[in-house]
Amino acid sequence: MRTTFIAIVALGAWLVAAPLVAHHAFSSEFDINKPLKLTGTLTKWEMINPHSWFHMDVKQSDGTVVPWLVEGGSPNQLIRLGVTKNTLKAGTEFTIEGYQARDGTNKAVGRNFILSDGSRYLFGGSAPGAGGADK
Amino acid sequence: MACAVPAPAQTRGAYRAPRTADGKPNLNGIYQAITEAYWDIEPHNAAPGQIRELGASNAVPGGLGITDGPLPYKPEALAKKKENFANRLKLDPEIKCYLPGTPRGMYMPFPFQIIQTPAYIMIVSSYARAVRTIYMTNQTEAPADSWMGWSNGHWEGETLVIDTTGFNDQSWFDRAGNFHSDQLHVVERITATDADHLSYEATIEDPQTFMRPWKISLPIYRRLEKNAQLLEFNCVPFVEDLIYGALRKPSSN
Amino acid sequence: MLRRFVAATALGGFAIALVLVIDAAAQTNYKVPRLPDGHPDFQGFWNNTTYTPLERPKGIDRQFFTKEEVVEQMKRAASEEAEQTTPGTVADVHYDFTQFGLDRSQAPLAINLRTSLIVDPADGHLPPMTEEGKRLNAARADARKRAGAITDAAQNQPLSVRCILMDRDGPPMLAGAYNNNYQIVQAPDTVMILVEMLHSPRIIPTNGRPALPASIRQIEGSSRGHWDGDTLVIETTNFTDMFMFAFQGASADMKLTERFTRTSDDTLTYRFTVDDPKVWTRPWTAEVPWKKAIGPIFEHACHEGNYSLTNLLRGAREDEKRAKGASK
Repeated sequence: MRTTFIAIVALGAWLVAAPLVAHHAFSSEFDINKPLKLTGTLTKWEMINPHSWFHMDVKQSDGTVVPWLVEGGSPNQLIRLGVTKNTLKAGTEFTIEGYQARDGTNKAVGRNFILSDGSRYLFGGSAPGAGGADK
Repeated sequence: MACAVPAPAQTRGAYRAPRTADGKPNLNGIYQAITEAYWDIEPHNAAPGQIRELGASNAVPGGLGITDGPLPYKPEALAKKKENFANRLKLDPEIKCYLPGTPRGMYMPFPFQIIQTPAYIMIVSSYARAVRTIYMTNQTEAPADSWMGWSNGHWEGETLVIDTTGFNDQSWFDRAGNFHSDQLHVVERITATDADHLSYEATIEDPQTFMRPWKISLPIYRRLEKNAQLLEFNCVPFVEDLIYGALRKPSSN
Repeated sequence: MLRRFVAATALGGFAIALVLVIDAAAQTNYKVPRLPDGHPDFQGFWNNTTYTPLERPKGIDRQFFTKEEVVEQMKRAASEEAEQTTPGTVADVHYDFTQFGLDRSQAPLAINLRTSLIVDPADGHLPPMTEEGKRLNAARADARKRAGAITDAAQNQPLSVRCILMDRDGPPMLAGAYNNNYQIVQAPDTVMILVEMLHSPRIIPTNGRPALPASIRQIEGSSRGHWDGDTLVIETTNFTDMFMFAFQGASADMKLTERFTRTSDDTLTYRFTVDDPKVWTRPWTAEVPWKKAIGPIFEHACHEGNYSLTNLLRGAREDEKRAKGASK
């Protein structure tokens, strides 16, 4: 049994998360030194590949509204689970935590997409307050 | 082969295609349209090309078109079409190796293959490896917009009827800037007229762009070479300098 | 509506039923469904997500793990991948896969007890490279170096970022981070595999047509299929060197043989042999179980939607401008 335990521990190294290629390209597109948090309303979710794009209107402190474009994941698996272009309603308020584009424009990658009640947008995952355990 | 009594909708003497195992007309094969419509689906004159160095190679051959009359553009859409035409070198999605959309993919100068099964009919063009999935069962609405559209199909006697919606507004109908919105709705009717020919008709409806529906029709030819097959035309590497060249680091070769 | 998806995730729980795969020969009492022409029916949606590495990890010399070990490994990987990444790290500059259902643990999976995908050589490792293979790959590495940084030009990026070719396409077809889905349709004389990533069609004639002439080369080679009993055999040749940039150092003269056998209702066993005497001292073989998945496969118009490539190039050019300005 000890051998098994050691084997499992030793294997941790190669059971890493998604390939580093994807992450490397993203850290070239977005600036690790420009983390941000944006709250606004969804105007449109462009369900395209290789990555989808959330168009959101972000209200500034001075009351003006600025459109932002936030990169998210491929919609393909969600489509298999029944999500359609009618699922995410325009006007939904949400917050993204992410990083701004290196080219300085109003683009960002959304690390987390969070609804106003604290739950995660789309698949909840393990975020605190994420949906119930009614599985 | 048994003599079938023609269905009421058919002309007497209409061709009866060989059947697949599930009793449907067998449209499997490799085909290609022979037409100038990929330049301009409307009747048009021969005209010079836009790249001087390509001379006659890039010039436009005249064509009698595949449409049933002048395209019934709404006035503002007609203005946009003219603008598209004037700027086609910059705007034509084909130049950037983008997917051709439907029906354009059916009459581009590239072979396409029909792979037919009871539940799915796949239409694959060798241009940009464009794939259309025709759902023959388990039909739903388009979950989201796409370049090639979301296609549901059914049989009417000898005719494959394909109903496609769920288009984005990015593709064109030809190289002349004829375009559509995401309200595009295409209904195609594909019928084998003999062992080596298909008749292809499509009704185009797009209330945002056109005042009324319109039709295209043309024959499509089976590629008869013994070694007929789709060769790979992955054009993405051919257009990277065009699309990304201006963003290349200045000092690199 | 959204909460329904929240509940459906089962991180670490692997809610979808899993199939134990020890050996392709194990399911000998399985009766494969057949098409009217008598050939096995492989049609449907399949997924080849795996936790198993291509080569056996260092320090492991067994051929198989126990089921308990594998389940534990997968649980740990799932919880690690689901955990929030640390802000300010490269891994954090990315959307969270689990929110889009794209995490490995959210994919249908055939549990694989093997310690490596490579089953031959028996040590689970690639065979030694020939001298010519080493030279060829050194030349490739040198060419990549001379081309400059990967952000200098689109052509310096991996083929996947350029939307030209991904591991799921190959061939051989191997899983990537997500969307490892395939749709198989079978018509008389033709098998088509629609690869989700790049929406890539593999059209494989099974009517014995001859291979393309040697002068015709394609990124995905040219495939010819035939049936060997209930196994679909696909032989692919006529690769280009551009493709070979991607796959394990192989040459354009690689001959690839893929074999599909349906070993249970929800498992397709995929086995491939790489025969490339220019690069390896002997052929090598790997095996991956494919699990039944659900459809549809939505259009993956990668090149058309490739804003990322434009953005990262523009970002690199902006960084250079800023650096230039700062150094003045």
